[in-house]
Amino acid sequence: MVNNNFMDFLIDSFLSALLLIWSMDPELLVIVQVSLKVSAISTIIASVAGIPAGFLIAFRSFRGKRLVITVLNTLLAMPTVVIGLFVYAFISRRGIFGAFDLLYTQKAIIIGQVILIIPIVTTFTITAINRIDDRYRKTALTLGANLFQTAVAIIREARFGIVASIIVAFGRVIAEVGISMMLGGNAKGFTRTITTAMALEYDKGEFVLSVALGIVLLMVSFGMNVFFNYFQGKARV
Amino acid sequence: MLYELKNLKKTYDQRTVLNLETLKLEKNKVLGLLGPNGAGKTTLLEIMAFLTRPDSGDIWFEKERVNFTNGKLIDLRRKVVLIQQQPILFTTTVFKNVEYPLKLRETPRAERMKVVKELLKIVGMEMFEQASAHNLSGGETHRVAIAQALACSPEVILMDEPTASVDVENQINIERIIKEINQKKGISVIFTTHNMIQASRLADETIFLFEGKIAQSVYENIFSGHIEVDSNGYKYCVLHSGLKLRVSSQKTGLIRISIDPKAMRLSQKKSAPFTNNTFKGTLIQLTDEQSWVRALVDVGIPLSVLIPKDVFKSLHLYLGEEVRLSCPKESIDIF
Repeated sequence: MVNNNFMDFLIDSFLSALLLIWSMDPELLVIVQVSLKVSAISTIIASVAGIPAGFLIAFRSFRGKRLVITVLNTLLAMPTVVIGLFVYAFISRRGIFGAFDLLYTQKAIIIGQVILIIPIVTTFTITAINRIDDRYRKTALTLGANLFQTAVAIIREARFGIVASIIVAFGRVIAEVGISMMLGGNAKGFTRTITTAMALEYDKGEFVLSVALGIVLLMVSFGMNVFFNYFQGKARV
Repeated sequence: MLYELKNLKKTYDQRTVLNLETLKLEKNKVLGLLGPNGAGKTTLLEIMAFLTRPDSGDIWFEKERVNFTNGKLIDLRRKVVLIQQQPILFTTTVFKNVEYPLKLRETPRAERMKVVKELLKIVGMEMFEQASAHNLSGGETHRVAIAQALACSPEVILMDEPTASVDVENQINIERIIKEINQKKGISVIFTTHNMIQASRLADETIFLFEGKIAQSVYENIFSGHIEVDSNGYKYCVLHSGLKLRVSSQKTGLIRISIDPKAMRLSQKKSAPFTNNTFKGTLIQLTDEQSWVRALVDVGIPLSVLIPKDVFKSLHLYLGEEVRLSCPKESIDIF
């Protein structure tokens, strides 16, 4: 029975994958490490830029504000391969930043990923801040806060929504494959991430490592959600 | 002089909410700002708290001219604190909420602990120290907000309708706290209310605000309606409730009127002849107000009438009785 063989094959792959994870296979570890490191740095950079940007856009009224928000919303739907191509044009040998030798490095992946998730962090922050009651602003000011302290008080009230944006952004970068492949080049031990490795192993017909990496990816997502729920519980106080 | 305001104007969406010629407020007093909804009370408080910038006009605070543009408002804001009509507390414990202004002022930790406990005691919230601020009732939230304001050690506390949204028990508590902070700590208190009785009970001085302007007396019995002219050329003001009042005015179209409670005449059912602007009504409430009696008469709309006590005694009126109420033309103000 073909069907039975297929099931056996799936179960076999799954068990071997678990074994691979259990034995802390060095190749797998390096891949996971690279993925986590690159994604974490991208998320931190995007948060440091996106949260204040979102706060300013939400709070200030300026000409073209609606346009900025529309553009950001459009960028949410930007395919990773488009970003890959776009960044490639700048950092390839013939590009204007070609001299920095960025192509096929982790830095290149980070640049692409930051572009991918800055709109996510920014628009989520705008929404989170907009939902915060204006009385908080007045309260902080009248109690003697300066503008920066007032901003901190408001961001603190919006922390739940802002942390959600960071988690969504991290989830987006750790799961994306287009940017990592086009700008990282899937170099073993260097720019090979969970997703690019999975794509490669799949091409080779080697499903075990692929499945193992898939399990790790799901565990990372699960871990993030557990953390988020814990934070959500804390935030209620 | 605490505040001096001149030609103050504030417009929201082309609606002038505040248009004050001059207003001087004295130090160390409890001042009541009395007016109906939409009189500009909240806007005036927010300007006095240096949170809202007036469109034009000048403000002097303690004889110093306030500059709303130079970014030095924080020094002034640290002397004045506003408690909003429905105060909002930060998403944390009661203790940390009261501690917040002290942290902003870089008060040492030990001192903060002491002051917060003291203040929570003053407002009677000491047993809620570690409670989550968002689980408090409206009245409790208000009391914590007062403690939070006191933590600023301000010279002035501005309170927007301090008792409008709390129950009677909390009302009494808040009124007691207002008196205490004024008498014991010498803090000037300026509060708004639309409750005349509260204003006269609490305030050393009451300022009447109506349609963004200072009024000589309080405007009561305020209703919206429109002007109609009948076939004889007589002008009537028809209120939204359907009540028709004979008026003399140059105005046309939509208007607002105020009927002076002291200029209306109340009489027994049988004694009064029906003339212009005399209505049949039911006496539904009587309140003692120093040398006056306030009677609430339902003539389709509730009208508040003030009658001198001796006159009231001679009228022999009882609650629930049918009465006649006449509103002479001169009792009606049209805006």
